[in-house]
Order: sequence, then structure tokens, then C-alpha cells
Amino acid sequence: MNAAAIETRRSEALDNFHTRGMPHRRFEHWRYSDLRAILDAGQVAQSGTAKWQVESVPDGVELFDLAAPAEQAPEWVVRYLGTVGNRPTMKEASLAFADGGVALRVTRGRKSAAPMRLQISSTGNVRLLLVLEDDASLTLMETHASDAGLLRNVGVEIVLGSGASLSHVRLAPSAPKSITVEHIGVTEARGACYRAHFANFGSRLSRTELHILLQDVGAEAHLSGVMVLGGEGHADVTSHIEHVSGGTRSTQLFKKVAGGKSRAVYQGKITVREGANGSDSWQTAKALLVGDRAEADLKPELIIFADDVKCAHGAAVGDLDPESLFYLRSRGIPEREARRLLVRAFLEEAVEPIEDGGLRAAVWREVEEALSRAMVIVR
Amino acid sequence: MSMLEIKNLHVTVGGKEILKGLTLRVAAGEVHAIMGPNGSGKSTLSYALAGREDYQITQGGISYRSANLAAMSPEERAAKGVFLAMQYPVEIPGVTTLNFLKTALNAQRRARGESELDAMSVLKLVRQKAGTLQVSEEMLKRALNVGFSGGEKKRLEILQMAVFEPVLAILDETDSGLDIDALKLVADGVNALRAPHRAMLVITHYQRLLDYIVPDRVHVLAGGRIVAEGGKELAHELEAKGYAHFAKEPA
Ligand SMILES: Nc1ncnc2c1ncn2[C@@H]1O[C@H](COP(=O)(O)OP(=O)(O)OP(=O)(O)O)[C@@H](O)[C@H]1O
Ligand SMILES: [Mg+2]
Repeated sequence: MNAAAIETRRSEALDNFHTRGMPHRRFEHWRYSDLRAILDAGQVAQSGTAKWQVESVPDGVELFDLAAPAEQAPEWVVRYLGTVGNRPTMKEASLAFADGGVALRVTRGRKSAAPMRLQISSTGNVRLLLVLEDDASLTLMETHASDAGLLRNVGVEIVLGSGASLSHVRLAPSAPKSITVEHIGVTEARGACYRAHFANFGSRLSRTELHILLQDVGAEAHLSGVMVLGGEGHADVTSHIEHVSGGTRSTQLFKKVAGGKSRAVYQGKITVREGANGSDSWQTAKALLVGDRAEADLKPELIIFADDVKCAHGAAVGDLDPESLFYLRSRGIPEREARRLLVRAFLEEAVEPIEDGGLRAAVWREVEEALSRAMVIVR
Repeated sequence: MSMLEIKNLHVTVGGKEILKGLTLRVAAGEVHAIMGPNGSGKSTLSYALAGREDYQITQGGISYRSANLAAMSPEERAAKGVFLAMQYPVEIPGVTTLNFLKTALNAQRRARGESELDAMSVLKLVRQKAGTLQVSEEMLKRALNVGFSGGEKKRLEILQMAVFEPVLAILDETDSGLDIDALKLVADGVNALRAPHRAMLVITHYQRLLDYIVPDRVHVLAGGRIVAEGGKELAHELEAKGYAHFAKEPA
């Protein structure tokens, strides 16, 4: 395989993008996020390339700048770039149109304890490739600047070798005027583990889409996330986890708070493929509506082709419990503070899974700020 | 003027009139007991006093220390010293008991223009009160009322009363579900708060509690009104004869 392979994949991606056209609400999985209504293919093609920045590269982590000529790409970049996970339209666009991005590799057995920070900023398409070799581990904090302009479209590929372990926290602050799309493809070998948290605070249209392949025995994926939306904010997390092999495990816990006229979306599809016997999965999504005109669409979905499979799912949209609210107020806690307390309590369970204390605190800070916007009481 | 004056109170819940002209006066320094059959409106009265929004006052009024209580929000009432120990305390996952106590105490203090207490001072205060009520450190760390037994919930209500030191305490069947020892603990807690500037309204089904918390007056609530009142001996009479005898008599 050589550099030409990358060019081939890029031109395929371009073809796919043009053939399929912009996703819109009649596409099954874009029902609640009508991208075509606010963006056309030309705008995607001409949006430029978004920027990335890595604060410091830890020992044992190799970095390749995808803006460099393809001939300079190391073997692992050539092997994986453009191949991980399925190839949805907007992900193809990021491959076809991005003039850059970053590829990172953690070499075999290297364990990087301190979180590595990756910041995405500016407008346009950008690509990310993350390869963890066997038994390597890494904590990645992916933060987004709110200067996304018209569109930021990120294509992420993650390859986890056997026994590799990645903790991924994605924090996207509110960008009310922008369209922000991110596709994350993950493939996991035997005994690999992907833990990810998605904190979304709303864009004009925000779509985070995951496709995770649990390829081999013992592979695990644990997703959690919070959304706090206000104004006319929108955020959509759509996941598809495929249990390809038996003895694989996945869990998902998403909590959403929607105020104002915002819209919170979760679609979680789990496929247990033929032969993936003894797989175990559960997913829960809960939304709290704190605005009269806010909306939440929660859609868990299970497709099972195997035996002896444990799957559980649930979804619930609700209001703050009036009895709890009265109890707190009758103890002297003012209504506004009591509501905040209850909302925080609601979200807690979904923030807790973030293992790194510093990252957890960073997410809470954003949550607090977003709550002030989301919980404006209109009377 | 009495501390609490309830005049001809009519309260509607879910479109149904529950209190139908209830009149009651409680002077500072006094403890009054309210007894009455199931569904007669005792809890409704307690919620109306604490300010639950879905309990609509359609006629009559409540004055508390010469102010119109009905016009105040629940939090305002709490800051002004009204405390209701609920018949069914609410479970609140995700909020630890200790953090709740601190938040509530400081919110009340803030509303009264007093300085807030730091975490250490609150902890000290709570620990001291919790000790006498046998509320364990472990319970304080757990989410508020979540998974607490019936009796533990009641003890926690009384712990709150001890921490907030209210002016008017309303105890709605705090004795139900308590074992004998806990009943004595709770009664001691209540008696410790008896003071010339405080008043208490104790709702109960059982004479037994009133052996420990001796009331100045006993009222019988039936069909949404007070139908009889008297001294502490009235409780004994009720125990002997039941409510049927009183229900028809006007107050
Ligand atoms: N939301 C509601 N809608 C309609 N009726 C209600 C509602 N809440 C309470 N009630 C009714 O009001 C009446 C009085 O209830 P309340 O709880 O005040 O009785 P109580 O005297 O405290 O009874 P108990 O001794 O069983 O505690 C009952 O008949 C009850 O069913
Ligand atoms: Mg009752």
C-alpha cells in the first residue's frame, strides 16, 4: 500500500458525497436534524479547513500533520485514513474537502496517564485519526472553540488494538449560529475499551454521530453524555454500536436538559450481529424539558441476530418533579435555586462516568454556564 | 393576637373542596394537637400552611404573626420560621442530605439577612443535632431520603426541625411508622424546642404521642372543619369513643 491509496479514498469520498447529496429529514437517521434545509453541498465544499491544536504531545505518542503531502504519510496513516467505520455522507465530505487534520498514534503498550488536549477551532472540514496499538492507553480531551462560522465538519477515526484503552471526552460549547457536525468511527480489537463522554451545549444544528464496531471478544464501549440547551439550540447525538463478536459489551447513558425553544435528540441503534452470542448492551436516554417550547426526541433501537443476548433500553422525557420542588422550597430554598439543584442532580449520573477529575470539573463548569441560559424562567 | 390565626379557611385540591371553613387559633408558646379520621383534611391543612401551589385557598385566610401567610411563597414562609414535617417526605436522588441541609439553612439565613455558615460550622451543627436523634453519619452522606426506611425519614424531618429552629412547626403524623424508642427521641426533640416564642401544631392519630408531647389544646378535624376542641383529656376521650361520636357535632 502507498500514498496513492489515500488519494483513491479521497476521490471515492468526493464521488459518494456528490452522488448522495446532502442529508435531510427524509433520510432515516436525519429526521430530527434537517441539514439540507440550511446548508447546500457547495457550501460544504467551499467551507475551507478547520484548525486543530495539540497542547503537548506526550511521550510515546506520534503525531502526523495531515496537511503534509501524502507521500510523507507513515505506513499507519496510509493504512487507516478513510477506512474506519462506515462512510456516511458528511464524513465523506470531511475526507474529500479537508486540507488537513491530525493523525496520532500511541505505540504498543504505551500508557499515557495525563489527558492530552486537542482543540478544534475555526470553520470548515477537518480530519482526525487516532491509532492506539495493542495495550496502549490514552485520555483525550477534545474541546471545540465556538468560532465555527457557518459550518464545522469533523471526521474522526479511532482504531483500538487489542487490549487498548481510550478515554475520550468531547466538549462542545454553545455555538448558536453555526452548524457543527462530527462523525466518529471506532473499531475495536479483542479486549479493547472505548470510554467516551459527549458534552453538547447546542448549535444552530449540532450532530454528533458515532459508529462503533466491537470486532472481537471482550471489546467494550461505554458512552455517556449530557446536553444542556437553551434559546433555539439544537443537539443531536446519534450512535450505532455493532456487536460483531460475542462476549462484547456496550453501555450508554445520556441525559438532556432542554430549555427555551431548543431541541435535544438522541438516536441509539444497537446491532447484535449473527454469531455475537453472549453480548451485553444497555442504553438509557432521559430528557428534562425546562422550557414550554422545548422538545426532546429520544429513539433507542435494537436489532438482534444472535442468541443469549442481554439488551436493555429505555427512554423518558419529563418535567421537574413538582413534589421535589415543593419539598426543597418548603425548606427555604428559593425556586430558582431549587430547580438548579434538581437539574444538577438529574445530570450527575451522566457526568460521573468521566474518570479524570479535572475533565469532569471542566464539563461541570460548562454545564453551570449553560444552565444559566437554559433555565431562564419565562412567566 | 395569636401567632397563627386561621379563619373560615376553604381549600380546594384538584377541583375538590377539602377544607370547608376551618377556624383555628394558636398562640405563641402553645402546642396544639389535631386529630381526625383519614381523609378529613389534616395534611391538606398542613400543605396549605406550607404553601403548596396546587392547594388553592378559595375563601377565608391565614395570618401568621400578623402577616398574610397565604400571600407568601413556600421559601418565604420557611425563612419566616414556618416548618412542616411532612407525612410523606420526598425522596430526592442526586442531592446529598448534608448538602441539602447546608443549602436550606443558608438560604433561610440569607433571606433573613443573617450571615451564611461555612461548611465546617454547618457540619458541626448538624452532627450535634444528629447525635441526639440518632441519625447516622452515613445517612447524612446519602441522597436525601432515598432508600431511607419510614422511621428514618421521620427522624430526618425532625433533624431538619432541630437544625432550622422554626417559629411555627407543623408535624404531620411524624409518629406514624416510628418504633417506641424513636417516638421518645422525636418527642424529646420536639419538647426541646418548646419555647415562649414558638408554637407547634401536632397532627396525629394516636394518643400515645400526646403522652410525650403534652398539648395545650386538642382539635378534632372532620369533614374539612374543626368539629370539637378541648384540653388534653379530649385525646383520651377520642381514643375511647372514636370519631363517629364527634363528626356530627358542630364546633
Ligand atoms: N390532588 C387531589 N385531588 C383530589 N382529591 C385529593 C387530592 N389530594 C388529596 N385529596 C383528597 O383530599 C382529602 C383529604 O386528604 P388529606 O391528605 O388532607 O387527609 P388526611 O386527613 O391527612 O388523611 P390521613 O389521616 O389519611 O393522612 C382526601 O379525601 C383525599 O383523597
Ligand atoms: Mg394526612
